[in-house]
Amino acid sequence: MLQVKAGDLNKMGLLFERYHRELFGFLYHMCGRSDASEDMVQTVFYRMLKYRHTFTGDGAFRTWMYHLARNVLIDLAQQNKRSTHHYDLVEYAEKIAGGMAADEALHKEQELATLQNALAKLSDEYREVLVLSRYQELKYEEIARILNTTEGAVKVRVHRALTELKKIYLSIEHER
Amino acid sequence: MNCEHVRANLLDRLNEQLSAAEQAGLDAHLAQCPGCRQELESTRQVWQRMGKVTAPEPRPQLHTNFYAMLDSFQEAEQAKQKRSWSGIVERIQGLWTSALMGRLAYSLVLVAIGVAVGYWQQGRQTPTLAYQQQIDTLSSQVQEMRQMMMLSLLENPSATERLRAVSYTKEISDVDGQVIDALLTTLNNDANVNVRLVTLEALAELGHDARVREGLVHALSRQDSPLVQVALADVMVKLQEKRSIKPLRKLLQQEGINDLVKSKIEHSIRQLS
Repeated sequence: MLQVKAGDLNKMGLLFERYHRELFGFLYHMCGRSDASEDMVQTVFYRMLKYRHTFTGDGAFRTWMYHLARNVLIDLAQQNKRSTHHYDLVEYAEKIAGGMAADEALHKEQELATLQNALAKLSDEYREVLVLSRYQELKYEEIARILNTTEGAVKVRVHRALTELKKIYLSIEHER
Repeated sequence: MNCEHVRANLLDRLNEQLSAAEQAGLDAHLAQCPGCRQELESTRQVWQRMGKVTAPEPRPQLHTNFYAMLDSFQEAEQAKQKRSWSGIVERIQGLWTSALMGRLAYSLVLVAIGVAVGYWQQGRQTPTLAYQQQIDTLSSQVQEMRQMMMLSLLENPSATERLRAVSYTKEISDVDGQVIDALLTTLNNDANVNVRLVTLEALAELGHDARVREGLVHALSRQDSPLVQVALADVMVKLQEKRSIKPLRKLLQQEGINDLVKSKIEHSIRQLS
């Protein structure tokens, strides 16, 4: 990235190849929509180019990437807030869950859908730490750097998020 | 180790993130606490299920879109750099087309207004000039009238009127030969001594004129009044008219001349010579 900052913009292609899948995964797990996530990946890489002078090189490139990605997510959340349908990823997950529920044979997939539904119902703050630790497989230390907090605080938050997720999961199962 | 502490570390236990000592302590608690064992089991379940939720592959379009974006960004960047080179030229051109032209037009309008106001003012000044000319002609006419009046008054039988006429000469700015002649005639011929004295006074003021000086020198021999003679002698001294010495000497030889006048004239001759 420092080479990109120095003016070698072609090196951005290399970074894209290495990180776009990870970034897409994070965004997908956060918002639950594939097309929106693709758009956001594009936005994040565009901002990397545009604001390349803000990359200090102190922290890892990944940390910076997640910083930008979180900002893009916040933008999306604000857009959604403005356009009445509050948070359509809940709707999305419920739609999948409902669709799957019709097919009794696919019990496991139903379970999965229930979990997805539960994840979607989780607050952004909790879902974020779970996504980062479970799907992005980041260590507490790395997460702490992304969230500008301490390792201990991240650990506590992951624990609480997981407890909350279990609670929501069970309540959805009970409804059935 | 209490349950709360254990449950906070269950995930780390699952992911084997704990140190050997911590793990041993935790496992010892789990062995005797069924609640925490259950909790561990549910956490494992959720964690595993979460792992089954996979993100789909991004469509290949993402690739194409990214490289298209990168290309256009690079182009824009190069264009920006080019602009910084030709920026100065462009900026000057920009100035010419927009701001400078506006200013130029503005100043041209100002100049035009200035010229127009100038012409207008001149147009207004022409009548004042004509007015000034009118006043000039009028005042010269007045002067002429005064001169004429003076000349006619000098021939008035009344001594008072003639005195007034002589006093007018002070108001006539441009005394011409006609006036001087008239005054000299009055000086030599007027019956009234006072008129003659006043006339002498008036003529003394015009002493810079050569004709006046000459006339005054001639007048010396014609005067019979001692007052006028003394006054004339004074004027001669004042004007330092050397030509007057001869007529003054002649005057001394005249018969029946006043002693006072005699000594005065002698004094004057001494001052002049």
